[in-house]
Amino acid sequence: MSDRSDGADRDKGALPSRRVVLALGAAAASTVVTIRPALAQTAGSVLNCEIPVPAPQAGAGQFIAADGSLVPAGTAGAYPPLARPLKGEEVKAMLNGGRPPAGVDGEAAQAYANYIRRLQAGMSGFTCYASLQMPR
Amino acid sequence: MAASLYAADPPDAMREVEIEGLTLLYHRRSGLTHFLAPPAPQILAALAGGPAGAEAIAARIGEAFEIESEDPVAAIGARLAELEAAGLVWRT
Repeated sequence: MSDRSDGADRDKGALPSRRVVLALGAAAASTVVTIRPALAQTAGSVLNCEIPVPAPQAGAGQFIAADGSLVPAGTAGAYPPLARPLKGEEVKAMLNGGRPPAGVDGEAAQAYANYIRRLQAGMSGFTCYASLQMPR
Repeated sequence: MAASLYAADPPDAMREVEIEGLTLLYHRRSGLTHFLAPPAPQILAALAGGPAGAEAIAARIGEAFEIESEDPVAAIGARLAELEAAGLVWRT
């Protein structure tokens, strides 16, 4: 019963003993190290960042096609630009759960979500999108 | 000292990967990643059964492990303080 099941035994394929010894260690010993990536540091504010759809420099006034690409205003089957930027929280809900932002219908939200997935470094909203992706 | 009850997020709120005896734990809600050494992962696993104090946690861990400690409750209390500082457990 006093056998300690260590990694070497497991590597050899030995069955772990039914009662594995767990040493709780000294009270002063540290057991938790937290990694805080730069983007994760902003986790609290990530949900408040904003993504304009589309980014002004990408073509203000252009419509967003179902696949997320930008097309000339008025293109059939494409959706008009959003009047307001989307909040990180809305984008997260839309990307993860398919829940459209308030006032946006489901199909349009899908097009906007596809647009956001195509964002690249340097475009408005990219940093926000990247931050939202961090936890996944 | 009145024993505090501690709670943790459910297991599906975290992603755990074991690496060479250490546990790499990603906490979805905070977006933070933690490296845990035993018995921290076992304490979190014990809390999956609901909020508990250090003594009850020791009892739960004792169901699966042979605990090696002169003072399990004090040792677990110290680990709980660390887990609390990391945001992985909180007092109820």
